[in-house]
Amino acid sequence: MRRVAVLGIDVGGTFTDAVLLEDGHVRTAKVSTTPEQEQAVLAAALAVGAAAADRFTHGTTVATNAFLERKGARTALVTTRGFEHVLHLRRQNRASLYDLSVDHPDPLVPLDRSYGVVGRIEPDGERVPLDLTTLPEIDADAIAVCLLFSFRDPTHELAVADELRRRYPDKPVVASHEVAPEFREYERASTTAADAYLGPVVSRYLRSLAEACGSAGLPEPLVMRSSGGVATLEEAAEHPSWILVSGPAGGVVGAARVAQLAGFENAIAFDMGGTSTDVCLIANGRAERTNERQVGGLPIRLPTIDIHTVGAGGGSIVWRDSGGALQVGPQSAGAVPGPACYGRGGMEATVTDANLLLDRLPQRLADGLELDPTVAAAALASVDPADVIAVVNAEMLRALRLVSVERGHDPRDFALVAFGGAGPLHACELSDELGCSTVLVPESAGVLSALGLAGSDERRDRVRSYVRPLAEIDGLPTEGAADLRYQGQSFELTVPLGGDLAADFHASHAERYGYADESRPVELVAVRTADVNPGPVLEFASDLVASAVGPVRLDLAGATCWVPEGWAGETDSHGTLRLERTS
Amino acid sequence: MTTTMDVELQVIGSALRAVAEEMGAILIRSAFSANIKERRDCSTAIFAPDGRMIVQAEHIPVHLGAMPEAVAAVMALDPADGEIYILNDPYTGGTHLPDITLVSRTRVGFAVSRAHHADVGGMEPASLPATSRELYQEGMIIPPTLLDERILRLLVANMRNPDERRGDLRAQIAAHRLAEARLDELCEKRSSAQVVSAMDELYAYSERRIRAGLERLPDGVYRGSGVLEPAEGELTIEVAVTVAGDQVEIDFAGTSPQHDGNLNCPLAVTRSACFFVVRCLADPDVPASGGAFAPVAVRAPEPCLVNASPPAAVVAGNTETSSRITDAVFAAFSQATDVPAQGQGTMNNTTFGNRRFTYYETIGGGQGASPHSHGPSGVHVAMSNTLNTPVEALELSYPLRVERYELRPGSGGDGAQRGGDGVLRELRVLEECRLSVLCERRRNRPRGMAGGEPGALGRTRLNGKELPPKATLQLAPGDIVLIETPGGGGWGPAPSSSD
Repeated sequence: MRRVAVLGIDVGGTFTDAVLLEDGHVRTAKVSTTPEQEQAVLAAALAVGAAAADRFTHGTTVATNAFLERKGARTALVTTRGFEHVLHLRRQNRASLYDLSVDHPDPLVPLDRSYGVVGRIEPDGERVPLDLTTLPEIDADAIAVCLLFSFRDPTHELAVADELRRRYPDKPVVASHEVAPEFREYERASTTAADAYLGPVVSRYLRSLAEACGSAGLPEPLVMRSSGGVATLEEAAEHPSWILVSGPAGGVVGAARVAQLAGFENAIAFDMGGTSTDVCLIANGRAERTNERQVGGLPIRLPTIDIHTVGAGGGSIVWRDSGGALQVGPQSAGAVPGPACYGRGGMEATVTDANLLLDRLPQRLADGLELDPTVAAAALASVDPADVIAVVNAEMLRALRLVSVERGHDPRDFALVAFGGAGPLHACELSDELGCSTVLVPESAGVLSALGLAGSDERRDRVRSYVRPLAEIDGLPTEGAADLRYQGQSFELTVPLGGDLAADFHASHAERYGYADESRPVELVAVRTADVNPGPVLEFASDLVASAVGPVRLDLAGATCWVPEGWAGETDSHGTLRLERTS
Repeated sequence: MTTTMDVELQVIGSALRAVAEEMGAILIRSAFSANIKERRDCSTAIFAPDGRMIVQAEHIPVHLGAMPEAVAAVMALDPADGEIYILNDPYTGGTHLPDITLVSRTRVGFAVSRAHHADVGGMEPASLPATSRELYQEGMIIPPTLLDERILRLLVANMRNPDERRGDLRAQIAAHRLAEARLDELCEKRSSAQVVSAMDELYAYSERRIRAGLERLPDGVYRGSGVLEPAEGELTIEVAVTVAGDQVEIDFAGTSPQHDGNLNCPLAVTRSACFFVVRCLADPDVPASGGAFAPVAVRAPEPCLVNASPPAAVVAGNTETSSRITDAVFAAFSQATDVPAQGQGTMNNTTFGNRRFTYYETIGGGQGASPHSHGPSGVHVAMSNTLNTPVEALELSYPLRVERYELRPGSGGDGAQRGGDGVLRELRVLEECRLSVLCERRRNRPRGMAGGEPGALGRTRLNGKELPPKATLQLAPGDIVLIETPGGGGWGPAPSSSD
């Protein structure tokens, strides 16, 4: 029988990681990311020896970079007349409560490219017929259309989008009901504008990537979306705002698989890198999802893996504020100049310097970098390195509690999967605070996103908006989830389809908010379903053997792990270091 | 004074801050009225056993300085562990009647939540009458009272939309139950004594930071003033700010006497407005705790416009007079340091209601420009920071339609830095109801700074006809209310067009 080879390649800011799984063996490679990302993808594929992969999955930062660096298309917005300024009015709250000079980031569409069209749909239907003659000529390279109530009745919006597509056949036109058919016009318009804004850049990249793969004999890649599932290149190009959280989503999928192989269906992915830390809860083998995320200060309302990010990482800079409190981050020394102990000219103390002085890092890293404790000590001066760890841990603990305790999960039922350069250094102490009793450090801790990509499901999310009493609705699908609330509330609780929705909602409300009121009508806001085409089941073995009884530092190939007193463990057959609390 | 902070206490402090934030999240997510769930007109806080404020979830500045009085009023009743008290009396710990405050005793101190309810009874739906002259007309007055099911029933029976009120109060109660559980966990992990020490340290920490900020301001006595627009004539706020080293005294001697209408402030609201300005100028990022206000003394003759006595009406004091107090205090500080030009200086309170529904909104406008940046457009500028109600959320729930919602280009004052633009919002009513508007800056433009031009006036029109700044009237189906909010002032002279 022919062997199946699956390839995952994740392009990050500094490095591009590749994982190739063939016949139960994992091969990994790391290359530098190039300005043309498709070049880095090819280099990584070559480095990992993927001459002929059967399935190729890809995570990319192209959309995120274009978004954050504001390098997207000249975009126009068409709204219901009278509401052209929706992106500029936002939700009317100011950017900073007490610093009155601070403004929000500029919207993606300026006022002079915000257009209105006559026609009005109201909650009960059309009040003013659509008048396409009021749709002006539009000078832009991409067009977003977001009319009021299109989540309920898209006829006007469709007609406007069709007219624009007829007039400007070469320009991407995105209608809000296609991308985020949910109520609240600002958030929907913001998402639609982002989708149009990213269209040309992302399509261009995916086209050249497809060509490059074709000439290198690689299969056309599937692209990771923020939802934690992959889709075809064509689908990804159609709605590029869905790939804004592509890379981190791969890491969570990888963490879920590693946890599952170690026997844990419940886990928390803890990815601590140089400048930030991403955490995400995995319940019953599945990453938690959310429907909205802020990217660069703008709301994006799309199915997203529920990753919570804090600005604390190994490179976070240590400082003392005017009240005498020790602070860590959010400024980071980055890779250049990097922590003081790198000896590359960085003068400011970082978390990495504190870890080195506490002997939690070796003086020579696996990649050959020499760390200098004298410089680290000079940079930290009078600050106790243990205090630095306590402060940065408090910041990360807040994030871990937010995704677990504050969402009604008991962390004692969860294993912490530690990855990223600094995750395994902090995981045991955080578990002590949080109450987890198992820490898992995957052998592939340094390339876990690429591993996750290799095993990702194909996934296509659908949402249908209702905003109607639950009692009036029949014929719901049995797989998926329903967003429900008491009539009159604005925030929903998500309940799985297939059971008694009303009863499950009351129970969930009681658990979350401390009471249920069965006399109140329940409203169905939306139904979320997904077509999932399962990815390959990643089975692999490892020769890695290691064990530790804390307190001890363990230098692994891809990461350094700190095992404090009261913790011990060893590697399993998949190469995952499994640490348990012993006291 | 120590200049470093014990890290263990700092870590507990971050846990306390998380509790206040989680309380706020629970309240917003489980509430029923647009004013809490969409506009987030609410705040939550944790207090020390001795009644000092330790952490507050940052939502609404006007709630900031006005919560300690609520806790003091409840402490006087010697509450037991786990008991929740309710109050809204502006003269016993409250601000204005729609702001209902819950205070509960926890294992270590108190948890507090304050939310603006869409109706608390009184002469007009939504309880923001333009013409009230005594507190009794503004709604149900709740002195600090132990909250149980019977009291809850009594209270909501006196408010319009009792079902919605009950839902919102239950959301508030849920926040308190959560705080109780979280503080218990924290005390079990760290010991109550440690938690109390952390509270002391958080308080001292904010105080150190604010004092360091005040120290940078030159000593001296600085004066400012502001004008309000009652139905007839004018009311003036006079203020003298004395900066001495690391403390400041703010004295309102010379301010107009108590108002015959509802523009009066209880002193707690006046204090909030003063604390807001001090915080903006001394240290915008200081964590909100009572310590940040320890070096600020606020005095006002009693009774007067900014230190009202019962039973004076106060409903507009919280929103409008408080805005003007910040303008006057900023104006005084402008003699000592750079301050932004004036922002819209009103919350443009607009309420609609009948027996069936009550709806309240406030509308953003132009922020004043700063020396190095333009003024943001279409935002709340001072004591409020509520969100808007999305058009789609509003129309799905209320017999109201939004016809236009736009910026007012050019309404910000010109200058080297331009003031922010105001907002235009047009609403059509579908059924008979009452309208109340409580607005300012309909006669006096927001001033520019350092040679910048003033912002445009706001105005309110009903079917095209201009309304006075404050009005309550009956609407018929099809009536159209158009509100244009003021622009912010510019900063520095505008570059001349001939250049």
